[in-house]
Amino acid sequence: MAEQPVPEAALLAQVLAAANSEAPSLRTTRRGSQPAARGTEDSKPPALLSRRNSILSRRSSFGMVPGSRRPSLGPGMLHRHVSFSGLPIFQPILKTRLENTYRMGPDKGCKFDAERVQRVLEGTLARALGSSVYSPQGNAPLAQSLTELLQNQAKEVVPPRYKLVCHVVLGQQGQQGLLVASRGLWDPETDSFASATFSNASLFAVATVYGLYFE
Amino acid sequence: MEEFQTGEEASFLVDEVSSIIKEAIEGAIGGNAYQHSKVNQWTTSVVEQTLSQLTKLGKPFKYIVTCVIMQKNGAGLHTASSCFWDNSSDGTCTVRWENKTMYCIVSAFGLAL
Repeated sequence: MAEQPVPEAALLAQVLAAANSEAPSLRTTRRGSQPAARGTEDSKPPALLSRRNSILSRRSSFGMVPGSRRPSLGPGMLHRHVSFSGLPIFQPILKTRLENTYRMGPDKGCKFDAERVQRVLEGTLARALGSSVYSPQGNAPLAQSLTELLQNQAKEVVPPRYKLVCHVVLGQQGQQGLLVASRGLWDPETDSFASATFSNASLFAVATVYGLYFE
Repeated sequence: MEEFQTGEEASFLVDEVSSIIKEAIEGAIGGNAYQHSKVNQWTTSVVEQTLSQLTKLGKPFKYIVTCVIMQKNGAGLHTASSCFWDNSSDGTCTVRWENKTMYCIVSAFGLAL
């Protein structure tokens, strides 16, 4: 087990390749010589996890400055933790101590702009479904991909610190009646929603995006 | 600041919410047939009943409840939702209900404060 200095990028690639399986060589290069630890792999979970934590903390420092508000459970962060290597990364549940931001509400002019989001929704729906025909098998994944697409589009126009819920109803155009209703319990000054509909000869779609301020 | 540490009560319990939704649906449209004139009133009562029961749980959550009622006429329907939130504290629950003349799909989203 020769210990050679491994550059950080290569180490990260190794983590990706090894994923959850414990690679002994990885451990030794990271923590110095530990020949005694070979036999007792189970007794070293904290060490392994601390290694993983340090790698992840380095990764998260790409986007955010550590030290100031750095919640490990902030909105959006967990998304990346799950999908980064394709496997869930099990971290110890740390009690995060959030620093006080002294913010009571969104900044002035930084509220959820319902009209803007509605325009975005209408445009996206028209582009995505313009010439589609309803098909029972194809429409299930289409509905899911449509929500992802709408959510990504909405994220771009919505101010930060907002959680989003995007709901899409996609159906076949027949002679039926349909009603979509919703009600929310939220802070009406900061939270709102936007919805748009689209229909052509064979299908209809109703999309709603709710934006809730999260402090 | 101490009261905002997550305790056992501040989590979205899917089973509990699911039973609340089912009761609300049964209460509002339990034995009825689809009637275009009444559907507005039905969706409102389903949503209001669900929301009021959810608030009675007393958890520090913001809620969104969506209800879709569709007449059974042979047409197909898909619903999907995607959410940008904190996976560990927020959750959702969807209940599908039907009778001979209509489908009812209710989704409840809970977002922690």
